[in-house]
Amino acid sequence: MEKTLRNIKNHVMTGISFMIPVVVAGGILQAIGVAICGTGISQMEGETLIWYVWKLGNLGMSLVVPVICAAIAYSIADRPAIAPGLILGFVCTYINAGFIGGILAAFFVGYFILFLKKNLKVPKTMQGLMPVLILPLLTTLVCGFLFFTVLGRPIAALIAWIVSALTNMQRGSRFLLGAILGALCGVDFGGPMSKTASTFANGLLVDGVAGPEAVKLVCCMIPSVGLAVSALLARKKYTRVERDSIKSAFVMGICMITEGCIPLAMNDPLRVIGASVIATTITGGVTYVLGIENYVTAGGWFIIPLSNKPLLMAAMVLMGGVIMGVILAVWKKPVNEDGGEAGLDIEGAADIDIEIEHL
Amino acid sequence: MNIVGVSACSAGIAHTYIVQEKLEKTAKAMGHSCKIETQGSIGVENQLTPEEIAAADIVLLAVDIKVSGADRFKGKPTVKVSTEVATKNPVGLIKSMEKALEK
Repeated sequence: MEKTLRNIKNHVMTGISFMIPVVVAGGILQAIGVAICGTGISQMEGETLIWYVWKLGNLGMSLVVPVICAAIAYSIADRPAIAPGLILGFVCTYINAGFIGGILAAFFVGYFILFLKKNLKVPKTMQGLMPVLILPLLTTLVCGFLFFTVLGRPIAALIAWIVSALTNMQRGSRFLLGAILGALCGVDFGGPMSKTASTFANGLLVDGVAGPEAVKLVCCMIPSVGLAVSALLARKKYTRVERDSIKSAFVMGICMITEGCIPLAMNDPLRVIGASVIATTITGGVTYVLGIENYVTAGGWFIIPLSNKPLLMAAMVLMGGVIMGVILAVWKKPVNEDGGEAGLDIEGAADIDIEIEHL
Repeated sequence: MNIVGVSACSAGIAHTYIVQEKLEKTAKAMGHSCKIETQGSIGVENQLTPEEIAAADIVLLAVDIKVSGADRFKGKPTVKVSTEVATKNPVGLIKSMEKALEK
C-alpha cells in the first residue's frame, strides 16, 4: 500500500518535473507581453511585435495539461504512453476537465498500456508493431473515446460545480470568499486546488469582476515570499539543500510560479502548508475586503503595477509573506545537518531500511 | 564496493546535484568508489558508461521521479531510495548497502 502511494507520488512528481519548464517559459513570455502592452495584448495581432512574445507564451501555456498528462503516463508505462498522454491531455483541455482531468487521464492511459503489454499477445512477426502502432493507436482510441464520452464528464462537472458553489458563496461576506480563495491558492502551490481557484478567478474576470483575480495573484505570490522570509529569520532551521531550493523558489515566485515551493512542502508538509494556508487565508480575505482588483491573469510581481491599487497590492503580498515567514520560523524544528565532508560519523549513522531488487 | 547510480529530483535543479556530491564524497571517505549520473532538468550529465555499469557491484537510484534508461541496469542488484534519504543520511545508506550485499 505504502509502495503504491509512493509510486503514485513518483509518477505525479515526474509529471510536474516535465511540466515546470513549460509553465516557466510560457508563463513568463505571456506575462512579459501583458506587462508591456496591457491586457488588450490578445487583440493586438499585427499591431506590435510584442504580440508574438505574448502568443508564444499563450501557446506554451496551452501545452501544460498535455505535457503533464504525457509525462505521468510516460512515468507509468514508458515511451508508448507519451503519444496517447499528449492527446488525452488535449482532450481534457477541450472538455474543460483541466488539470485534475489531465492527471487522472494520465493514470488511465499509463495503466491501460501496462495492461495491454501484459495481456495482448501478438505473433512474433508483429512484435515490432506493438510500440509504434498497436499501443498508441488502441490506447488513444479506447481511453480517448471513454474520456470524451463518459469519464471526462464527471470531472468537468465537478469543476463546474466547484465554480458555481464558489460563485454562490459570493453573496456571503467578501472576507469569507477572499479567505476561501486564498486558502485554495496557498494549499498546494500551483496544484489542482490552486488551479481550481485560478479557474474561478479567471472565469469571474471574464464577467468583469476583477477582485478574485487580485486575491489569486496575491495569494499565489505569498508562499515563495513566506519561505524566503522564514529562511532569513531562521536560517538554522533549513538544511543547505533546502536553502538552495528556497532561493530558486523565490526567483520563480517573482514570476508567480508557485511550484518551486513544492520540494520544501514535501519535506515538511504540515508546517509549510499549514503556515502557507494561514497566511493566504488571512491575506486573501483582507485583499478582497480592500477592493483590490487586477485584470491580468498571470505575471507575478511584474503585473502588480497594473492593479487598481498597486501599493496596497504590494503591501498585501508583503503582509502575507511576513505572516507565513514568521509562523514558519517559529514553528519549524531546527535541523542538524549530518554527513559533512569532515569527520563522517560512520558508527553513529542510523541504518536505512533498503531492499535490493534485480531489475 | 563499486557503486554506480543515478540521482534525479522533481525540479531537477538543486537536489539532484547535491545528492550526487554527497554520495560521491561520502562513499570515497568510506573507502568505496562511486559515480552518480545526474538526470536534472538540464539533461543527463556525468553519464555512466556501459563498462562502468558492468564493473559495478551495486546500483543506487536516489530518485523522486522516473529514471531514464533504467534498462541499462538489468540484472544488477539495485537499491532505490528517495533523494531525501540520500541527502539526510548518506552514511547510513551506504552502510546499509554494504550489509545488504553481504547477505
